[in-house]
Amino acid sequence: MPLDSEIEKIKDEFDGKVTDKFLELLLKGMEGAFAASKNKIVSIFTDKFKDYHKNIEGFKGRYLFRTSDNTVLASAVFENGDMDVREDIDDWNVRVTFKNPAALQDFLFSQNQDILDSILANTVEVDGNLSYIYKFGFMARDLRKRIGL
Amino acid sequence: MAQITIKDLSLKDCNLTERATELKKAYFRAMPEVCVERSGLITRFHLENNLLNKDRISILDKARAYRFVLENRAPIVWHKRSYQKGMTPFEFKDNSFFAGSTTSKFKGVPLYPEFLALTLWPELLGISDRARNPFYLGKEDAEDLNLKIFPHWMENNLLELARKKYHPPEMKILERLVFFLASKPNCISHTIPDFSKAINKGLRAVIDEAKEKGAKATDAAKKEFYAAIPEALEGIIAYSKNLAKKAKEMADNEPDPTTKKELLDIAEVNNRVPELPARSFREGLTTIWLCWTAIHLENPNVGLSLGRLDQILYDLYRKDIDNKVITIDQAIELISCLWLKIGDHVPTIPDAGEQLFGGTGSNQAITIGGVDKEGKDAVNDLSYVMLRATELMRLRDPNLNARYYHGINSDKYLRRLCEVNVNTGATPAIHNDKAVIHALTKKGDKLEHARDYGVIGCVEPNSNGRHYGSTASILLNLTSALELALFNGRHRHTGMELVISKETGNPASFASFDEFKKAFEEQARFLIDQSTKLNNIFGRIHQEFYPTPILSALFEGPMDKGRDIIQGGAVINSSAATIIGLADVADSLSAIEKVVFEEKSCSFEKLIDAVNKNFEGSEALQKRLMNPDKTPKYGNDDKLADANVKWIVKTLDRAFGEKESYRGSKYRVGYWTMTNHAGFGRLMKALPSGRKDRENFTSGITPVSAVTPVLTKSLNSVAKQPPEYLSGGVALNLKYTPETGDMEKMLDNFAASVKGFVDYGNGNGTGGMEIQFNVTTHDTFVDAVKHPEKYPELLVRVSGYTAYFKDLNPQMQKEIIDRTEYLLSKGNYVYYEPFNL
Repeated sequence: MPLDSEIEKIKDEFDGKVTDKFLELLLKGMEGAFAASKNKIVSIFTDKFKDYHKNIEGFKGRYLFRTSDNTVLASAVFENGDMDVREDIDDWNVRVTFKNPAALQDFLFSQNQDILDSILANTVEVDGNLSYIYKFGFMARDLRKRIGL
Repeated sequence: MAQITIKDLSLKDCNLTERATELKKAYFRAMPEVCVERSGLITRFHLENNLLNKDRISILDKARAYRFVLENRAPIVWHKRSYQKGMTPFEFKDNSFFAGSTTSKFKGVPLYPEFLALTLWPELLGISDRARNPFYLGKEDAEDLNLKIFPHWMENNLLELARKKYHPPEMKILERLVFFLASKPNCISHTIPDFSKAINKGLRAVIDEAKEKGAKATDAAKKEFYAAIPEALEGIIAYSKNLAKKAKEMADNEPDPTTKKELLDIAEVNNRVPELPARSFREGLTTIWLCWTAIHLENPNVGLSLGRLDQILYDLYRKDIDNKVITIDQAIELISCLWLKIGDHVPTIPDAGEQLFGGTGSNQAITIGGVDKEGKDAVNDLSYVMLRATELMRLRDPNLNARYYHGINSDKYLRRLCEVNVNTGATPAIHNDKAVIHALTKKGDKLEHARDYGVIGCVEPNSNGRHYGSTASILLNLTSALELALFNGRHRHTGMELVISKETGNPASFASFDEFKKAFEEQARFLIDQSTKLNNIFGRIHQEFYPTPILSALFEGPMDKGRDIIQGGAVINSSAATIIGLADVADSLSAIEKVVFEEKSCSFEKLIDAVNKNFEGSEALQKRLMNPDKTPKYGNDDKLADANVKWIVKTLDRAFGEKESYRGSKYRVGYWTMTNHAGFGRLMKALPSGRKDRENFTSGITPVSAVTPVLTKSLNSVAKQPPEYLSGGVALNLKYTPETGDMEKMLDNFAASVKGFVDYGNGNGTGGMEIQFNVTTHDTFVDAVKHPEKYPELLVRVSGYTAYFKDLNPQMQKEIIDRTEYLLSKGNYVYYEPFNL
């Protein structure tokens, strides 16, 4: 199953060196987890994703993630209870510019740091409404917990 | 003037009762629990009444919202259980005299989604387990916050409303975090309510007054204001009566006659107050407590302070003592129970915030002593009773502040203040009335108002219950102004490619020290301009979306003007900034003046190169810069060094004073830093003062640690700074070695050091403004880092407020350990190697 292999790859990214693929894998994994939660796709992780979709019921949000040189660029659009991963978008609610994929991972997941800490360390710059990032941070950590990391 | 009738001012025969002892034990055992009651109810009201996603929220709607919360919150008379370390539940007997609590928990973390509660969102799944200062959060509550509460405030919290409505470019500077911080997205706060009307007349009388004034008002805004006040106050009365009803129900089912009587007493007291005037000391305290919980439903507790309680409550205390209704022991027990209640909540702080503000309580200051409005001695028996309760309880909150007017207040009183400092290790802070009153009157406060000042949050003086001074609106990192001057408008933290402010020139090309001072002043003015503009925008957002009917009802001014305090309703209005890094900047200026321009022993280019390399390869220069015998250092009674401090405080006072706030008032400036001097220090690189990369800055108005060997010289340098430039309050942190072998001698020396400080003959003869202490051995602190479990109650003064040492982040612990420690018997410092983290 594509989702299952993506989840395994996400685990690898957490276990080993963070690569340029981290963002894409994270967003795709999240997208798949929402779909599996709504039984739109089948996954060995389906049980773990139970009710994960509740996070985005009624939620509208547009996120743009990128490195400062745009070598890594991806967007997430939440609408109608679904998540859609795209490339570049306009009209984002929040744009996150990070130094490198490891900075993004730290930004979203580090045990001893949080979003503010990444801003303090100057590894991430956020434009737009910070509340969207706080929500995304919860969903990403929720996903990580569900897949056993 | 009250007569002192207590014979033994130390009240050493009065000890903690079993009730207070057991409640204190439970208090220290309990971990904070996140409470969703307030945020759930407030969200529900806003949704049901369609108040979100609007252009404004009226004061009447806000008042109705708070009434709804107060009427519907659970009336918890006594708590039964809490969570301890490891997040396991424990049960205890709560038999406090005061029913109700700030949150639905014994020790709670209230959430304000209108402000910055959403910063906790990413942490909801792990906040119970985080390394430092964990908060217990149940699974269901976390789910409610994630799905039912936080989503509605994503576009409606005050920070994002400001961004959406005003698109302030200054926000980008704020979000770099290294230049200044703004408190308004996090609170109204930083003020002292006026409890006297609630105590002496009761809230029913205030409601009647509002209705009467509303009926006469012709202006629509005033009519709305006067309509809002009764709504809000009926909510407080309802909450008290719900508690009374619950206490009566509990009493009806209580088999133990003693407990039954205690519950019936609570029912009787809460049925009466705060609706009607308080008749007894206990009713007065209960009035304050219930108004205080209501104020906290409206206002996140960031420096909200209780003011001059020994003055406000004295008549009730005197009457009960004279009529033998209570004894002094019982008064101390009542106050001890109230102190515990006041500390029943902790502020909401995300993990990274812990690194900047770690270990902070909610900084609820109480003020005792000093002079009254006529300038007469105001120290009374209740001042000593409160000191004894504080000494016995040793709590972080409330933060006790003692006023002292040399020549009017007695020597015995001062000595007692010193004794309590020795016995608690950290409290009370001592404020010099002469200097503070001078500072306030120079800013235009009437003399009787200035004499009636109370202390807010950490150290900030405002006239009690009538001055909305918003005293921590801006926290400005002054070393960033120095950085911008050194690097021609750029900052090493944000990168040398980015021009942050105006390019003031390469200092290497400056021909004189005055040229550099000019560049520094220009950069400081840039930051002042940015920060005040942004503060004014946040202030307007408060006015549009966060009216404060409860605080306004309990304040002198709004009821007369028919105007909310955030609209300028208070008798006195101002805004204020506090400055971080004063001594580090001053010593840098002195180093530049002396080494680069006077002696010409090091070129500016070479100095900048050395700081850029963190003095690697320039070790001799760094050593020389840190040596007070070779480079002028503030805190050594050195003319050049102290003059640079004076120039800075004068310049900043003038620059801030030129700015007008959103309430049509002026800005004031203070020098107290909470834990920001450690937090900002962590972000900043080396300075010309000789300070290396990432080292802590110095707290408040205190000279840099370990470069001021003689106590009297250090005190003189601080005392000579003119109070009129320091009207926002200052924190001078001193560390004394406890010399308990000869306690009497220690206290003599202690009191003499304070007298010398407040009696210093500076230009106005006012002396230094404020002084606060840590009286704990170096070894104890070092051991407490290694074995925090052995020191759960080790109290410390940070920079203004008090904290438990174990709760501070490692950098802040290091800062306290490394502070200059003086041996009073010798008057010199005791040298210790810098503590390694």
